[in-house]
Amino acid sequence: MDFLVSASTDKGIKKNTNQDSLAIKVADTSVGKIALALICDGMGGLQQGEVASATLTRAFSEWFDNNLSQLIQEGLDDLKIRREWERIIKNVNKKILIYGQQQRIRLGTTIVAALFTEDRYYIVNVGDSRIYEIKNHVNLLTQDQTVVENEYRKGLITREQADNDPRKSVLLQCVGATGDVYPEMYFGKTETDTVYMLCSDGFRHVISTEELYEHLKPEVLTSKEVMKQQSELLIELNKTRMEQDNITVSLIRTF
Amino acid sequence: MLEIGSIVDGKYKILNKIGQGGMSVVYLAMNERANKQWAIKQVRKDGVKDFEVVKQGLIVEIDMLKRLSHPNLPSIIDVIDRKDNFLIVMDYIQGNSLKNRLDEFGAQPQELVIEWAKQLSDVLGYLHTRKPAIIYRDMKPSNIMLKPDGKLTLIDFGTAREYKEKNLADTTCLGTIGYAAPEQFGGKGQTDGRTDIYCLGATLYHLVTGMNPSEPPYEIKPIREINSSLSSGLEKIILRCTQRNPEDRYQSCAELTYALEHYDEIDDIFRSRQKKKLAAFITTAVMTIVSLGVGTGFGKAAEAKTDEQYEDVIAEANSLTNEESIRETLKKAISIKPGDKEAYISLIESYYNPQYGDENDMYNFSVKESQEIEELLNDYSSDLKANKSNYVEVSYELAKAYFFYYTYGNEDKSGDNENAKYKAAKKWYKNVIDHSDENTFLYWNESKIYYEISEYYTSIGDWENTGDFKGKYLEYFSNYTQLFALASDNKKINNDNIKLRMYQLLSSALAAKTEKFINDGVPAENVQRLLDQMQTEMQAIENPDSNLESLISSINASNQKIEIKMQAMSGS
Repeated sequence: MDFLVSASTDKGIKKNTNQDSLAIKVADTSVGKIALALICDGMGGLQQGEVASATLTRAFSEWFDNNLSQLIQEGLDDLKIRREWERIIKNVNKKILIYGQQQRIRLGTTIVAALFTEDRYYIVNVGDSRIYEIKNHVNLLTQDQTVVENEYRKGLITREQADNDPRKSVLLQCVGATGDVYPEMYFGKTETDTVYMLCSDGFRHVISTEELYEHLKPEVLTSKEVMKQQSELLIELNKTRMEQDNITVSLIRTF
Repeated sequence: MLEIGSIVDGKYKILNKIGQGGMSVVYLAMNERANKQWAIKQVRKDGVKDFEVVKQGLIVEIDMLKRLSHPNLPSIIDVIDRKDNFLIVMDYIQGNSLKNRLDEFGAQPQELVIEWAKQLSDVLGYLHTRKPAIIYRDMKPSNIMLKPDGKLTLIDFGTAREYKEKNLADTTCLGTIGYAAPEQFGGKGQTDGRTDIYCLGATLYHLVTGMNPSEPPYEIKPIREINSSLSSGLEKIILRCTQRNPEDRYQSCAELTYALEHYDEIDDIFRSRQKKKLAAFITTAVMTIVSLGVGTGFGKAAEAKTDEQYEDVIAEANSLTNEESIRETLKKAISIKPGDKEAYISLIESYYNPQYGDENDMYNFSVKESQEIEELLNDYSSDLKANKSNYVEVSYELAKAYFFYYTYGNEDKSGDNENAKYKAAKKWYKNVIDHSDENTFLYWNESKIYYEISEYYTSIGDWENTGDFKGKYLEYFSNYTQLFALASDNKKINNDNIKLRMYQLLSSALAAKTEKFINDGVPAENVQRLLDQMQTEMQAIENPDSNLESLISSINASNQKIEIKMQAMSGS
């Protein structure tokens, strides 16, 4: 199995800075190709959201560069990845928290990260960035950690109420804002000829599932160039529809 | 930043930094002259966006906070406005936050949590019944300090409301906004007292279960699902506090406090026990009916029966929660035994005391209510007057209600409230001083002073209408000096709180009309001497608590006003 990857980000039409951070890496290893993709959506005043999202992105990126090969030698499994990633997230959480206290600001970041091996994917999620699997249809792999989504899942409000709820942008948790953080993990089988799409919430507010499918289905994404093109097309579509947030999307196409 | 060791405002020596928040740093400071420690909160101006916009609100808010006085609130005693920051001088609270306690020991014992809950409900109720109401909005364990004496203090009060409103345009994180009630997220209706009730419920849940509702599973479960040994009564209270819809929660802290005081009665176990008791009661009742048939009506027995009936009706009133039915029951009690004081006093209290429900009517003694009690007192006047001390006590309670809570003319601004309340209070204070003396009634001296003050205020109204007040101020000033002597006589008024309240009344009466006193011939040096003596008396008060401190600072402010007015007059 192999991976085609692309990533695009745009600060959007409203904000002065882009507080989203991303990383996408592919490595050739003894167990075949391995890809890491992640998006962090930072929050906090002025330039500070960037500090949070970049710090976490860097930590994952360094882990991929320095620790992964050792792990592969020992044999990857769900539990090990969970432990490793929880450790990284909790460490960075503390770091950002202390930084925030020193600077007297509140900042934090979401994270959605996925590691793809030839047969398995490992996903971690904190906040409301997402990862989709697109093959014959669009399948959302992560659950948003928002107050509204949580209440919808508990049956307290309807989908329609959830969509119109003023608390839509309130996350249950994020990295760097509170003493504790509880990442959610998802595991599954990596499918061939499939597109995995990661995005910050700015990418998906005003784009329908059908539009995602039409532009990003595996039959369309046949090369890196097309992937980049389609990503940018959708980013522009978001902007013409007056999306206010930073917009980031990463694509991994398996073949 | 304040330099450690530096002296601020000529009196506060900065000892060290003890805390830090988003906009502020808190220092421990020492007033070396008074040998007392204070906390000084420095609110930076540069840390706040649009400071000029929030500044006005901040000043108003701090002014309001300065006037608060409650055992569970820190007193703000001074605000120093500096170029780049504000300094708020307040009580230094020794102890640990409940968050630290939770972190260290986990879930807290139920009995303790209920005890805390009562204190917290009480202080929130106090805030909610200010005019305008103050909504705290940020109840959480880290904002509650547990003092070594077991009492709680609500902290983080020096910050303006502007900082506390949740801005939801941007992405935020639940953990940083505390146990926000649904309506605090905007678009879901206004926040009001019930918002605080929600957050208090979430706080109690956290304290008694050790589970933070802002962490997974992000919900408030029935507490017995977490610990089956907890009380079902407390479970019901917490669930009711944390209902999504404010309408479904306790509607006021008075209601919540009542529930907390009777939590074991809404407990399932208690209820089943009650049912058994009821069964036992029915048996006794049947036996009583049987024995009644045997008994005959001796006069003594009939009297004992009236007493018993009266006590029963009073007890019934105490068990009720609805204001209306409490009053009806009390009136019934009065009709049973019109010569006793207890039912009258409870009825008078029910008019303004927040423990009797109706949130909109707290601390208000309305015209209609005054008519009701006056009528009763008129009807039963001879019964009540038969026992002098009962009559005096009831008169005293009614005078107090008029003096502090009477709303005549306030609702529609139709009449002169000040004049009406002093006039009504004067009449009943006069009853007190005429029917008792300082040896027979504990509050006789206090009543005397309130009477004189009421007399002064009502007279001012009359003189100003007729324009005939030559020599009157002179006369009143001479009265004042006597009243001051009376208030300062420790043998007669051995209570600093009452003493200071008297000073406050004297000082504010003088401050309102300083020019007129002087123009009427009161020598400025006599006024100054009175102020100096007042100062000396206040300094002699040993270890004033926060309540007294705030009275002292209010008296000082008023005295200063008098001095400034006098200086202005002598200069012109």
